Amino acid sequence: MTTMTLSQAINSGLRRALEDDPKVLLLGEDIGRLGGVFRVTAGLQKDFGDRRVIDTPLAESGIVGTAIGLAMRGYRPVCEIQFDGFVYPAFDQIVSQVAKLHYRTRGHVRMPLTIRIPFGGGIGAVEHHSESPESYFAHTAGLRVVSCSNSAEAYLMIQQAIASDDPVLFFEPKRRYWDKSEVDENIGLDSWPLHQARILRTGTDATVVAYGPLIATALAAATVAEQEGNSLEIIDLRSISPIDFDTIETSVRKTGRLVVAHEAPVSFGPGAELAARITERCFYHLHAPVLRVGGYDTPYPPAKLEEFYLPGVDRILDAVDQTLVEP
Amino acid sequence: MSQFSAAIPLVQLVDPTGKRVSDGTSGIETSGIEAPGIETSGIETSGIETSGIETSGIETSGIETSGIETSGIETSGIETSGIEMFRALVADVGPEKLRELYRDLVVVRRIDTEATALQRQGQVGLWAPLLGQEAAQVGSAHALTEADYVFPSYREHGVAYCRGADPQALLRQWRGSAPSSWTPSEIGMAVPAIVVGAQALHATGYALGMKLDDAGGAVIAYFGDGATSQGDVAEAFTFAASWQVPVVFFCQNNQWAISEPVRVQSQVPLGERAAGFGIPGLRVDGNDVLAVLAVTRFALRQARAGGGPILIEALTYRMGPHTTSDDPSRYRSPAELDQWRARDPIDRIRLLLEREGALDDGQAGAVTRAADEVAGALRAGCLQTPDPAPEDLFEHVYTDPHPLIHQQRAALLAHLATLEGHQR
Amino acid sequence: MATDQAKMIEKSFQLPDLGEGLTDAEILRWHVAVGDPVILNQVIAEVETAKAAVELPSPYAGRVRKLLVDAGTTVAVGTPIITFAVESATGDQAAREQADQERQVPQEREAGEREAGEREAGEREAGEREPEEQGPEEQAGGERVPVLVGYGATAGTSSRRGTRPRPVPASPSFSPIPTRPLAKPLVRKLARELEVDLAQVPGTGTGGIVTRQDLLEHCARRNTGTPATASTEPSIRPSTEREERIPIHGVRRATAAAMVASAFTAPHVTEFITVDVTATMDLIRRLRGSAFLDGVKLTILPFVATALIQALRHAPGLNSCWDEAAQEIVIKRYVNLGIATATPRGLLVPNLKDAERLGLIELARSLNNLTETARAGRCTPTDLTGGTISITNVGVFGVDCGTPILNPGEAAILCLGAVREQPWVHKGQLAVRWVTTLSLSFDHRLVDGELGSRFLADIASTLTTG
Repeated sequence: MTTMTLSQAINSGLRRALEDDPKVLLLGEDIGRLGGVFRVTAGLQKDFGDRRVIDTPLAESGIVGTAIGLAMRGYRPVCEIQFDGFVYPAFDQIVSQVAKLHYRTRGHVRMPLTIRIPFGGGIGAVEHHSESPESYFAHTAGLRVVSCSNSAEAYLMIQQAIASDDPVLFFEPKRRYWDKSEVDENIGLDSWPLHQARILRTGTDATVVAYGPLIATALAAATVAEQEGNSLEIIDLRSISPIDFDTIETSVRKTGRLVVAHEAPVSFGPGAELAARITERCFYHLHAPVLRVGGYDTPYPPAKLEEFYLPGVDRILDAVDQTLVEP
Repeated sequence: MSQFSAAIPLVQLVDPTGKRVSDGTSGIETSGIEAPGIETSGIETSGIETSGIETSGIETSGIETSGIETSGIETSGIETSGIEMFRALVADVGPEKLRELYRDLVVVRRIDTEATALQRQGQVGLWAPLLGQEAAQVGSAHALTEADYVFPSYREHGVAYCRGADPQALLRQWRGSAPSSWTPSEIGMAVPAIVVGAQALHATGYALGMKLDDAGGAVIAYFGDGATSQGDVAEAFTFAASWQVPVVFFCQNNQWAISEPVRVQSQVPLGERAAGFGIPGLRVDGNDVLAVLAVTRFALRQARAGGGPILIEALTYRMGPHTTSDDPSRYRSPAELDQWRARDPIDRIRLLLEREGALDDGQAGAVTRAADEVAGALRAGCLQTPDPAPEDLFEHVYTDPHPLIHQQRAALLAHLATLEGHQR
Repeated sequence: MATDQAKMIEKSFQLPDLGEGLTDAEILRWHVAVGDPVILNQVIAEVETAKAAVELPSPYAGRVRKLLVDAGTTVAVGTPIITFAVESATGDQAAREQADQERQVPQEREAGEREAGEREAGEREAGEREPEEQGPEEQAGGERVPVLVGYGATAGTSSRRGTRPRPVPASPSFSPIPTRPLAKPLVRKLARELEVDLAQVPGTGTGGIVTRQDLLEHCARRNTGTPATASTEPSIRPSTEREERIPIHGVRRATAAAMVASAFTAPHVTEFITVDVTATMDLIRRLRGSAFLDGVKLTILPFVATALIQALRHAPGLNSCWDEAAQEIVIKRYVNLGIATATPRGLLVPNLKDAERLGLIELARSLNNLTETARAGRCTPTDLTGGTISITNVGVFGVDCGTPILNPGEAAILCLGAVREQPWVHKGQLAVRWVTTLSLSFDHRLVDGELGSRFLADIASTLTTG
């Protein structure tokens, strides 16, 4: 086991992928010489050369569009979009092309791309650097969307995403890049399926589902809840598309209560899909409606308002309390 | 701004009357021929540099614009005109090969006519005719080898045919029976791009892959004049130049993007646009199949040899509508059509062959029969296209199993089973 | 090869959708007349749509038979506009041969990226399907006409719906985790209002879901006093001189339902013991008028209740219930003591919650309050549900004993008879003593003879010693 930050864990995972498959290429802005603005790709160009770790011109659509051509040529490109808010210029290439080429060619062309996107807020940034755009992509058939929450998950999941023959949008919680935890560098890629949720803490009174940056928040909330006498079951969703409903269902059948937390705005966010489907499947087990805690339906605010926008321990516990109240 | 007088002269080897352009003149007689909104103030025929391609002296790191070598052809030492170099590139096109080109032109036009008729007969939902652009497509396609790869827009049916696409299957996409009509790996050609310009980036990436593979092939990306306004095309130029990849950007300037004339898109001749990106530009008379062949051969050889990307503007005309849903009489004049009818690409080659005594009645008959055969196959294949099954909705969305696909397919089939009259 | 006797058949051509969702077109002019020969793709008409004027090429080679629409008319897409006489042999022969060939060659079904394990059984080759759009085919009477191909709105197709099966409610089909009762939110809300613990209610819905009906019947068994089956249809037959008809509703209906449920579910056994309660009566006499009582009217009932509660400590099985749905016996660790009370509305059994925590005086006071409340008709649903064991007092009527029926959901009921002075053998001598009979009915599924007997004897013993 090695202690590493989440950023280092992705770096290690990328390194393993580059070592294991000569067709893996990294493309992105500033990923080569600089090693990425978050140092996620530090040292990789030096070790693997500039034909495998490629600094691209400043054009997101170009990054994804050329990656499509590389994939058609048999490569396994890993694109980096420098910040969440800058994925939109590439949106058409992602949803009109990456997502649909396999279908369009009746299965003859594969798009084994991975598109890495640092996402989420809590870093006191300026506009467009704290977005949570995962819903747009989860809503697009043909794409897979995942998010890691800690170093061990990052190390495992990035390799699995790269190995997947389907296109994967890999959302990295940028405010957790510097969080350290243990990573088993020898973990097998089949140790836990990429799209399976993980129960991080068992409980009996309510289920809380989150992913990415809010996992740490949810776990903190569970500790406080325990002191208040409530036992929360915390589930890391990990995969936003497809969603592992079976794990959530089993938990909700046990607890009868569900709270979903994400930074993305509540309206039309992933929580809405969870709420609808869990209500459909667990109607007779629910003691209270499914509640969602998320960003407000506003643009992401300036840094000094960030703390009011982001779901924290208190707002998550408010929602939990609400589900526990018997009217 | 004139399409015809430009910093980059238009390459032409055969004029509209079927006469080979002689050594003494090069360029195009344009008096009296108007393209919409374009002045025709004559062509400067002097000033063509013989030391390779004039790229207005732009040097970018790694790109030398003088002394560009093409296999077997030394460009230094050619004194008379740049035309000579291109003529030399098609010196191998004797009567038989010329008849082959002519046959492909006729067949491609016939495919187009038949497909249009099938649309009018309700057998195909939509068709984007290439009428008038046959030479641009056939000429360039004939420059390609097995090792090369093609990224088309949605109008390159001629290229697809020349690459070996099966006429019987060609209309499946347009009929709505399948999402595409051919398998890319079988003919070395990606499926049509409906999103304008997106394919230019794919081509650039593919070319990078070829370069990394040291494959020796090149990529050709087709798009129209309208596409050159798209950001993705500009980005493709940027990336291609930055990476110096073997891609030929082949722009068929057919003068119209639905109802918008090319002057809405660009204030300079399109062939000149790439210069700003550090990419050499060539301009060719797109209705002259020999010139197109020559120029494309040049560009592909250069690209394959590590010379980086190159832009070809093929000046042509969209004789038909944008698609079968369009009515061009609403925005352009019959006079303009007449002018371009006089520059018809197929007439030109037929006239050339007749001039040179290279097309007798028997040979002409064989060409007609070939066209009839292909049209028959096209029609029969179209009419007999099996309808897709409802569950085909769910095929190939992902490569790996996906729970929602599984559930939803089952749900649709279960629903259909409850409907009276539904047959499996 | 065309044969000399090529059969001529009639083919019709319908106006197609000419451009992405167009709904009609005007026939501007015909380029052919009846009887004209036509070749494939020959222009037969000029039509104008909302978007463009287009020429229509003939889909057949043959002869024009009929022009079905006049020039200048606007027709809807799909309307037949012209018929042709066409040779059937060559064209269709080739078409059929082609179709046969295609049946052998799977076209759209290239094997390959099939998601194994996701396909239902019965993967079909493309060729097995009858191609529906082969183009015109001959048939005797009706024709198979070219189907429209076009994007956008098609004219409303007639419904093909037959009788569809009623949708099966999404049953919680899973391996049950029987820790919480299943109920839809409305039922949960109702349960809260009625102060019913859903876990007590057997559910008859799929998978054990507690339905609204289940909840209400449960309450009825608890003598909620609310007309569970809310019907109050008036009797349609009048009383006569020889008969009086009283409609069955309200409390009586609920009580009757409860009785029936109890009597025919639990196997009742009743045991009797005759007890010398002189010591207890002496105690009552001594306590009467004492300030200690604080104004509470004291009868033997609280003493019987105390004795019963005490006896339960050693026989908790009599404070239990039979949970059929969960297949479990639930032994209650609290005593909600029911007292059968005659009220103007009928028999009610309100219960005193957690009676085991009350001292004698408190018990006495609470029992008095309870019965007063019941007689005044002011019992709440809480009072009337959740009982664990009951006492019925027939002694107030001067009756000695009985075979009481269990309150549904309980394991035992103790019947207190009249307390009388009677001749008794006391310390070997004949004496006049205060004597009463206690009758205990119990559910023989939950309580066996020995347990029941010991329990009863225990109570008797407490009352005897005072």
